[in-house]
Amino acid sequence: MKGAELVLQVLQQHGVDTIFGYPGGAIMPIYDALYQSDVKHYLCRHEQGGAFSAIGYARASGKVGVCMATSGPGATNLITSLADAMLDSVPVVAITGQVSQAVMGSDAFQEIDVLGLSLAVTKHSFMVRSVEELAATLHQAFAIARSGRPGPVLVDIPKDVQLAEIAFHSEPEAAAKAAPIYTSLANAGKARALIAAAKKPMAYIGGGVHMAGAMVQLQQFLAANPMPSVTTLKGMGSVAKDNAHYLGMLGMHGTQAANLAVQQCDLLICLGARFDDRVTGNLQKFAPHAKVIHVDIDPAEINKVRFAHVALLGDMQQILPAISAGADCTEWLSHCAQLKQQHGWRYDHPGERIYAPLMLKQLSERMPDNSVVCCDVGQHQMWVAQHMRFSSPRNHLSSGGLGTMGFGLPAAIGAKLARPQDTVITVSGDGSFMMNVQELATIKRFRLPVKIVIVDNQRLGMVKQWQQLFFNERYSETDLSDNPDFVALAAAFAIPGHCITRKDEVESALEAMFTWPGPYLLHVCIDDKDNVWPLVPPGAANEEMITETKA
Amino acid sequence: MNHVLNITATNTPAVVERLLQVTRYRGYELAGLQLTPRSDAKSLNITLTVSGDKPIHLLTSQLHKLYDVQQLELVSAELAVLSA
Ligand SMILES: Cc1ncc(C[n+]2csc(CCOP(=O)(O)OP(=O)(O)O)c2C)c(N)n1
Ligand SMILES: [Mg+2]
Repeated sequence: MKGAELVLQVLQQHGVDTIFGYPGGAIMPIYDALYQSDVKHYLCRHEQGGAFSAIGYARASGKVGVCMATSGPGATNLITSLADAMLDSVPVVAITGQVSQAVMGSDAFQEIDVLGLSLAVTKHSFMVRSVEELAATLHQAFAIARSGRPGPVLVDIPKDVQLAEIAFHSEPEAAAKAAPIYTSLANAGKARALIAAAKKPMAYIGGGVHMAGAMVQLQQFLAANPMPSVTTLKGMGSVAKDNAHYLGMLGMHGTQAANLAVQQCDLLICLGARFDDRVTGNLQKFAPHAKVIHVDIDPAEINKVRFAHVALLGDMQQILPAISAGADCTEWLSHCAQLKQQHGWRYDHPGERIYAPLMLKQLSERMPDNSVVCCDVGQHQMWVAQHMRFSSPRNHLSSGGLGTMGFGLPAAIGAKLARPQDTVITVSGDGSFMMNVQELATIKRFRLPVKIVIVDNQRLGMVKQWQQLFFNERYSETDLSDNPDFVALAAAFAIPGHCITRKDEVESALEAMFTWPGPYLLHVCIDDKDNVWPLVPPGAANEEMITETKA
Repeated sequence: MNHVLNITATNTPAVVERLLQVTRYRGYELAGLQLTPRSDAKSLNITLTVSGDKPIHLLTSQLHKLYDVQQLELVSAELAVLSA
């Protein structure tokens, strides 16, 4: 068989039945092999979109996402999405075609140094030199992508390797050998002592918990050690909906209760999170009274930005039960409950116009259980995080670390293909939507019943908010009041849609969207003056939030 | 402050670039680099000297994550202080 056929065979050995990509000269042998293959290929309309779909597929399912592109421009178009997967630790394998080795290094047509480009945006990358090493390299790529802290892996395959003959071998060689996780419980006793002694403990939960498959252990830990909890953007949905002590998201646009309680706590138990600057605000002033227990799978995160009094490395599933100490802090729990009540969200917005937080709350209440919401980036993304509730982080796909506009629509395509039984909703902004709008063609071709909600403030709203607050209201290049007609745009792709402008239209519009069996676009017009509150201004401590009334 | 790292790495085409990329990105300056293939030519012995104001563990912990790095040893005096 040819190297190209071997590629598909190895993919199938890893259970891959869905890939996203776009063909071109240097990857034609693989596309030729695909022609007769059982692997289903979904043609994106821009490689960035295809790779975001692979990310959406991976994040919604917990499996490895796979995308493909040709050399040169195809490969460079993948870079943003690989960076996104890198910063959010998403297991993705990207396969790129490369020019033949005979002309490599000669600035051949569509030749670019993809291995060199990959260094900053992948967990690891390979250039395959001969067809003999092709299968082993691909196996390794899968193992690396999903082992330890997951991440994207790129495999660059020259055209001559794709065309080279190799003896057929069907043995599932070393198929699934992910490196074993080394877990050290040596510090568990110290952690238990800190938890037992704490008067004001707080669980700070990141994306690492669900990626470790430790959702059950987390609920058990929180039940055995009743304490308030907060989550990061990626950790949202980790805490069971009926946990009364959950305070919401912390950080720049976190809830007041979450931020105030974290600032007051005396023990911060960081589970699979990394003290990101959007979480901590002013690092020196973050949780100033707290000792820190840090649990992670990546040793490089320990003591990277915040000193850990106790660190535990390895498998969260084993560590959580080992550090359970029976925390007892009734007074603190009732204090936090009071904070939560005192600073609850208010939805009594005056006037006829649609108030996005309320609309999203209505969406959250109306969407079927286990729906997946894929966000874009900006104010609407923060409103989703604040006002929608999720039962699993796999149901809330948001570009966290890289904050990549254009993520939502293609991620929803991947999520829908990973979980065809579940409702998939994109909540996008009028700016972000246009960044991968071409993927409407992918939705059209495969009649993917993705629900698209555009929160249209005719602005690059998040940037506008900062201009208003921190740049003297000098609105440089954030006006989008000449947006296209989004409903007409959807219609061009055979996607029906509807536009609403008033509060009293929301419920029936949502109903119509969910009742329609196919893809649907709901264009929601809001006031361009609405902003996201609370907000921790740059350089401030998290208790110094600006709220709407103070602004 | 200079730090000397003794590294054994798999001899792959991009291994030196990876070491240098991480060193630069994490905010350290290159002060010296020596490399010699081992007798089997499959591995390299690399001596990387870097300078920087940040604690060196912030660099070594990231270099450790590179797949081509088999062994990494900090040989400068700071090692004793840091691990104590
Ligand atoms: C690819 C990319 N370019 C630029 C930015 C900077 N940025 C962050 S939010 C934002 C505005 C997004 O506008 P929109 O999608 O309409 O969302 P809104 O804030 O209005 O809800 C911009 C430009 C980004 N995050 N990603
Ligand atoms: Mg907008």
